[in-house]
Amino acid sequence: MMINFDNAATTFPKPLRVRRAAADAVMNYGGNAGRGGHQLAMRTSEAYYNARETAAVFFGAEHENTVFTLNCTYALNMAIHGVMAQGGHMIISSMEHNSAARPAVALAMKKQITLSVAEVFPDNERTVESFRRLIRSETRAIVCTLASNVTGQLLPYREIGELCRQHDICFIADGAQACGIYDIKLSDGINILCTAGHKGLYGLTGTGLLITDGVYPIAPIIQGGTGSGSLSLFQPSLLPDSLESGTPNIIGAVTVGEGIRFINSQGTDNIRAHEERLCASFITGLKTIDGVTVYRDEGAEYAPIVSFNIEGVPSEEAAAFLSEKGFCLRAGYHCAALAHASLGIRNGTVRFAPSVFNTEAETAKLVYYVKILKNLQNS
Amino acid sequence: MTKCILDMPSYTYAVKGQRLLRQRGYPCTIKRRSKDSANGCGYSLYVGDRCGKAAEILDSYSVPYTIRRDGADDDDKL
Repeated sequence: MMINFDNAATTFPKPLRVRRAAADAVMNYGGNAGRGGHQLAMRTSEAYYNARETAAVFFGAEHENTVFTLNCTYALNMAIHGVMAQGGHMIISSMEHNSAARPAVALAMKKQITLSVAEVFPDNERTVESFRRLIRSETRAIVCTLASNVTGQLLPYREIGELCRQHDICFIADGAQACGIYDIKLSDGINILCTAGHKGLYGLTGTGLLITDGVYPIAPIIQGGTGSGSLSLFQPSLLPDSLESGTPNIIGAVTVGEGIRFINSQGTDNIRAHEERLCASFITGLKTIDGVTVYRDEGAEYAPIVSFNIEGVPSEEAAAFLSEKGFCLRAGYHCAALAHASLGIRNGTVRFAPSVFNTEAETAKLVYYVKILKNLQNS
Repeated sequence: MTKCILDMPSYTYAVKGQRLLRQRGYPCTIKRRSKDSANGCGYSLYVGDRCGKAAEILDSYSVPYTIRRDGADDDDKL
């Protein structure tokens, strides 16, 4: 028995139609996309384009502005380096994953940009105000996660988007924990949306997306073959080619397209409602156990992620115990140094992150084993 | 019969252009560029009608292209 509650890292299992699409792609899409005229290349190119189109429609973007990447980290690095290529000031939130925080800090350490960190509060108005107070005349971009990968806290992204619009600032959003669960669109005020293809979008690992409204040019950080303008020694300026050098993960992209079609068949509202029900059940169960801390604040909104700790049990030990019982939960710092500092958590957390495939019975069973662990610790 | 050939800057724009034209009743196919161009290899849209209307449609959706031939009726010669 193995029950996966580590879906914030990557979803598993994948929907049947995604697994079938992967197998079909291996069988039939063995050419290279956008790089030949023979029938295998053309067939493969069309499958790749179909995935791009599906993602573009899902996020309300133009097809050509929908760029496949290796993962969300690549997308964020491309967006941050690309938009800040000329320098300037950037603001990131205190809940950022290292995938946004590290490239930002690296640029600041090299003095290519100046960087500020906006504190996130349970109260959305205070959070927006903390961004507002940091804006300067030279601020070029705000990078903000839509939902914390540690606690699941939803950030007021529409309000932050509006703030950016008012000040002509590029809003780069990290949608890794929100896409597929919420109906995220560029029209929410996002200029560049970065997300994983293998989490809430249910594609294979090795997939991500950078989706832009095209308002803020993104200088490529990788140059190479694109299948277009081959005689020029300069990188093409048109999207998506300018940001898609080298052979893409075609099979992965096809699964992302199929994953999105799966989400469309279920409905993001239904997926979210299901996962929120499991989180509510889990929290209710944890509340019956003395000495368990759940990292949620009154007044804040949360995506379906629950971080918790058991008094006297390091998070990694708790996850190891639960793993022995068949449960997959992530423990530790979740690649989010800023968030842990902001939350004042010194020893990491255990993270419960259900997917559409988890059940109430599995959740109840997990609560039972958390109780057993706590009792063992007390004895 | 091909009367218009539009060179597209990338495969993505070739498909986008093809779908826009087809949705508006202009059958067209994507082919690998048959002649070398100054920019190197790429894809072209072969349209069964003169380029005027097709170009108008692509312009209205900001799809970039270069007219390679307008008015020819034999794509073997192109």
